[in-house]
Amino acid sequence: MRRPQKSCPFCESRVRFIDYKDDRTIGRFLTDTGKILPSRLSGVCARHQRQLSTAVKRARYLALIPYIRGHQA
Amino acid sequence: MPRTYEAVYIFDSTLEDTAIQEKLARFHELLSLSPETTTVDNWGRRQLAYPIGTRENGYYTVARFEAEPAALPEYERALKLDDGVMRYLITLHEHEVGAPPSAEGEGDEERPRASDDDDDDED
Repeated sequence: MRRPQKSCPFCESRVRFIDYKDDRTIGRFLTDTGKILPSRLSGVCARHQRQLSTAVKRARYLALIPYIRGHQA
Repeated sequence: MPRTYEAVYIFDSTLEDTAIQEKLARFHELLSLSPETTTVDNWGRRQLAYPIGTRENGYYTVARFEAEPAALPEYERALKLDDGVMRYLITLHEHEVGAPPSAEGEGDEERPRASDDDDDDED
């Protein structure tokens, strides 16, 4: 049986380019440990998922979001 | 042909605000920017998501400008040499989140072409 198609939250809000500086929005698409949430769970379309992946990596570099969360050295 | 870039700087938060603005002005001088096409947004001091070296805080500044690609290497060199800049990121500018779809369509003027960007082009 096929899963019902989730609609892409970025397409729904008419986002053309995902902003890497918007850590609030990006944070919604990360797991508790800070990994990128798979699109199969978030429903993000392929185009936006690619943009998201770049945005997350840029945001990590700029220390806006952590590379890993909940890890005590 | 000038292109629109966006640069994010993370300055050492222990620097004075005036010192930061001075540095910023010095960097932007290297690009010979015109004030009409330049916007600078100072976010101010902010906690880093993870420590960079021993630093827990940084002073964030976002600048958007139009510059000749040929002017970038010298500018970037100055950024690298400056100890007050903890990190920086220069990207080709894209539209803001939530920006309405504009009339320029898919043939975006900012599409990387014959440049060293290896962003994958959409079909």
